[in-house]
Amino acid sequence: MASEQHAFAYDPEKNYDEDIMAQQRQIEKEIAETQPLVSGLFTFDDIVEEYTSEDAVYRHKIEDLKTRYANMRKTRGDGNCFFRAFGFAFLESLIKDPTDYSRFLELVTKSKDELIALGFPQFTLEDFYDTFIDIVKQVKSPGTVEKLVETFNDQGLSDYFVVYLRLIVSGFLQKKEDEYIHFIDGERTVKQFCSQEVEPMGKESDHIHIVALTKALEVPIRVEYMDREGLTCNAFTFSASDTSDDSLVKPAVSLLYRPGHYDILYPL
Amino acid sequence: MAGSALKRLMAEYKQLTLNPPEGIIAGPVDEENFFEWEALIMGPQDTCFEGGVFPARLTFPPDYPLGPPKMKFSCDIFHPNIYPDGRVCISILHAPGDDPMGYETSAERWSPVQSVEKILLSVVSMLAEPNDESAANVDAAKTWRDDRKGFEEIAKVTVRKSLGL
Repeated sequence: MASEQHAFAYDPEKNYDEDIMAQQRQIEKEIAETQPLVSGLFTFDDIVEEYTSEDAVYRHKIEDLKTRYANMRKTRGDGNCFFRAFGFAFLESLIKDPTDYSRFLELVTKSKDELIALGFPQFTLEDFYDTFIDIVKQVKSPGTVEKLVETFNDQGLSDYFVVYLRLIVSGFLQKKEDEYIHFIDGERTVKQFCSQEVEPMGKESDHIHIVALTKALEVPIRVEYMDREGLTCNAFTFSASDTSDDSLVKPAVSLLYRPGHYDILYPL
Repeated sequence: MAGSALKRLMAEYKQLTLNPPEGIIAGPVDEENFFEWEALIMGPQDTCFEGGVFPARLTFPPDYPLGPPKMKFSCDIFHPNIYPDGRVCISILHAPGDDPMGYETSAERWSPVQSVEKILLSVVSMLAEPNDESAANVDAAKTWRDDRKGFEEIAKVTVRKSLGL
């Protein structure tokens, strides 16, 4: 048969890593060309077809979301979506209501020395910290949502912001090593986990990343889980401290999770 | 972001010049172009590469340090984790999306807080302890595994050659 001539034949002498990586680069390039880092606003009617093509149950879940949320923004699926979605949504919330701005700025300003104290070399931190603080300060200079969208779609600035959020998470987990070692799989130390799963760009976020970011920045996050079970989304609130009651927390940021991806939600 | 990359590379060069790690010299080939570096790596003590001085080139991408540099030895070196053309294949030189088979889960990955110094130190460890699980040079991996004496003979020749003997 003609097709058999093209069938894959494993050649043990050949190193396939390079081919796999080239293919990976190609997929990343296609994603970068078709998805903005942070999109404009979409209504749920705009996205219903796209989502339900994946699974019909999403149609019910979108109806459920419509009872609580007005619209959404999409983020690029590049493994950094949780950090980028959180960063954008939180700074946007500060533009709309700057009550929490001074507390947040003070907290992140202190973070650099804390990271250096944990052993991060200053010269590897500095540029990310400077860019991060500049972007935070845009909120008050005076900030507009349009300008923030522009900043977050500038690949360099946006990525530097994400790197620093990753470092904050890494620093927090390392500082609370005794507590978080129990949540790490494999025979790894917290430091190893951070250098493999938190600090590298493009590494997807798990529950532990979200818990750590929420607590490190003291910013509560609500995540609507849109999985394939049931007819409604399951909301989960990550509270900023261990003592606060979930039901009393007003989340500063709401995110939509579909397996493997985070987008931004805007409550009604 | 080439401006950020340049700033970072200059900071790293300064750092390496002020506090050079043992057995490693590295810096830009030409001060006009900070994106091409040359490194000299001494073969680690008590290994078959001891006494050798191995030159290599590092090429940095415009988005460094978001992405890792590439590294290639400019001398002949027969080693499981070095391709026959000199390119170095170790986990710290790969972006996290690149997950070639065979790396141990504990292996270090590239992240923006890694540095040239960390890479070069990993290369020194790689010379001391080849990883035959993820071979870039299959011949070298087989020789290392099945004929250690033969491997050491070839390494000795490489060391002498690297010194121009």
